[in-house]
Amino acid sequence: MEPTTHSAESPIATNPTIFQGRVQFSGQAGEFFGIWIVNILLSILTLGIYSAWAKVRTYRYFYGNTQIDGHSFDYLATPIQILKGRILAVVVFVIYSLVVQLLPLIGLLFALGFLLAMPWIINQGLRFNMRMTRHRNVRFAFSGNYGDAFVNFVLLPIASVFTLYLLLPYALKRMDQYLHENISYGNKAINVNLKGETYYMAALITIGVAIAGLVIFGIFVGISGVAMSVGNVDPGNLNVSTILFPVLIMALYIAFLTLLSAVYQSIIRNHIFNSSEFDDVASFKSDLKAADYAILLFTNALAIIFSLGMAYPWAKIRRARLLAKATEVTIYSGALAIIDTAQQEQSSFAEEAANVFDIDISLT
Amino acid sequence: MSDFPITGCYYYPNSSQHQQCSAIVTDDNLQLVDAQQQLLVSSSLVNCQLESPLPGIASAISFSEGGRFVPQDIHFRWPFAPDKQRLTERLEKNKALILLSIILTPLLLWFILYRGIPAIAVYSVSLASPNTVENMGEQVLTVIEKVALEPTKLSEDQQSALQLQWQTMLKQLNLDTAKFRLSFYKSDYLSANAFALPHGRVVVTDELVKLLNDKPDALRAILLHEIGHVEYHHGIRLTAQAAASSIVLAVIFGDLEGITEVVLGSGSSFLQQAFSRDMEREADQYAIEKLIALGYSNHDFADAIEALQTRFNEQAKLDDSWLEYLSTHPSSQERIDYARQYKPK
Repeated sequence: MEPTTHSAESPIATNPTIFQGRVQFSGQAGEFFGIWIVNILLSILTLGIYSAWAKVRTYRYFYGNTQIDGHSFDYLATPIQILKGRILAVVVFVIYSLVVQLLPLIGLLFALGFLLAMPWIINQGLRFNMRMTRHRNVRFAFSGNYGDAFVNFVLLPIASVFTLYLLLPYALKRMDQYLHENISYGNKAINVNLKGETYYMAALITIGVAIAGLVIFGIFVGISGVAMSVGNVDPGNLNVSTILFPVLIMALYIAFLTLLSAVYQSIIRNHIFNSSEFDDVASFKSDLKAADYAILLFTNALAIIFSLGMAYPWAKIRRARLLAKATEVTIYSGALAIIDTAQQEQSSFAEEAANVFDIDISLT
Repeated sequence: MSDFPITGCYYYPNSSQHQQCSAIVTDDNLQLVDAQQQLLVSSSLVNCQLESPLPGIASAISFSEGGRFVPQDIHFRWPFAPDKQRLTERLEKNKALILLSIILTPLLLWFILYRGIPAIAVYSVSLASPNTVENMGEQVLTVIEKVALEPTKLSEDQQSALQLQWQTMLKQLNLDTAKFRLSFYKSDYLSANAFALPHGRVVVTDELVKLLNDKPDALRAILLHEIGHVEYHHGIRLTAQAAASSIVLAVIFGDLEGITEVVLGSGSSFLQQAFSRDMEREADQYAIEKLIALGYSNHDFADAIEALQTRFNEQAKLDDSWLEYLSTHPSSQERIDYARQYKPK
């Protein structure tokens, strides 16, 4: 878990490496459990109002425990900003539900309006989250515009439906490219160069795993289905096998889904990190293994189910730890000369409100 | 103040530059000095800002010029921090409170989701104008019609005979004949089934009428069961409870990864099913009580469930829809036994 030694070799002579090592995550499940459960109790007792404070404390805990070269991240949003956003979201949701119920035609217009507003909401939310993220006293920023967001998040996904989803990996690549290439760290913009073929390869591998999984799943269901019709003559009578069977199917279903999402996500995550760089400042490497990630997600899901949710803090901590461990950062000397440019701009109410939709690029 | 000097890292204003240094607090002043004893920052304590302390996180201090000092020791807390600010952290580290939260949280959630929210929903619907409730109910029916219903194929005679029975029954029970309406539809999708909408419309499928053709009192029992759903506002309570629990779960479990969401979604639908089983029992009881009050028998209800169960068993050989049915309804045998052994109070 110790950072690997400060590497002496540098890729370019004028740009010496000052640090190379894994991202450190030092959160403790026991410690976070206390924060989590007490914050839930306080949120319930205040009829949800405290949940804004709870969110900020949770984010601060995870950001503060994530370190690169001994420097942690900071989450800067204030509870009042989160609370304002949540109140607005509730008001919009209530108006929307009433309109849909009472005037379905206008509800349809609402849905269309939401489609048009979505790119804007995505931008505002990302802007807020990036600005609220700080490392070494320098904040991140997001600079996407409406037009690009509209193409990537509305037009391309719709177009991919009409191409029998053949365009979908390309659309996903464009979304990820957009989400990441507009990030900057202080006055330093990021360079992201995602490749479409990796997305198509990831999709093919995931589909391959899915087909293999379905074949095995089908054999299993076939065998147990036969076993059950022999063992269980009276379906009106609930016996052990009628209860066990759905539970087993459920467990297999979860295992199947975790495996698929782990395969796809690990390929894509590695690709994004390996293709992103702040020139002269930092480069990244991710070597998340699909099998490790699948086992983690599956055991997390089982733990949460069997503990009736109480294992959630533990699950969240060990996921953050695994992702941090799979991420290597190299920092170059340019990192010492970054200037925070976001200082003067105040975050707007629109950004705070859009933050409710929780658009997030996880840094860990 | 024997802790001082405190070692840590000073971050320059608006810049990624930083410097290892030590902090010294004297009276109402804080000074940062580097290893060469050079003074980096000197600030009066009133101009320093402390974040709310968080377990496991170093307590950073911000200066008015924009610089920040982060102590190396994550457990270090500034002695001049106001007690009020440290309260939350104390609560979060308090073992007794953590234990209490583990017990209280599920109880409070259960109470709010299963008692509070449904009651509030029923109350707010009672405040809404009858017209609004009527419109909403009819709209829901229109949607179900499009998805799952076809016009009835029952003969005019049979329909009017059943409508006449329905009207008589409503009058006997002193129920509003304008509110409670009976409609027939053919439905391949729902098969032999009946359902009620919150504004008082009860829908019966042709398949159910045919199934209970020679047991008119059993059909009556099912209609009473559906009236029970309306009288107890089950639809409204269920909808409110579903909406509230998805919001509450989202807040508690925050940013969930896709898979956990699936898990919790099914968790909440399990709860949902438990809730809906309780409602079925409530409606069963209503139906049986009214059957007896009208001079019929509690066995009529048992007959109805038995007939439905026999049909489900036949269907179960074709598909596994019974699995779903079993989870939202109490077991048929339990309902039949309950009806057969029912003793009027």
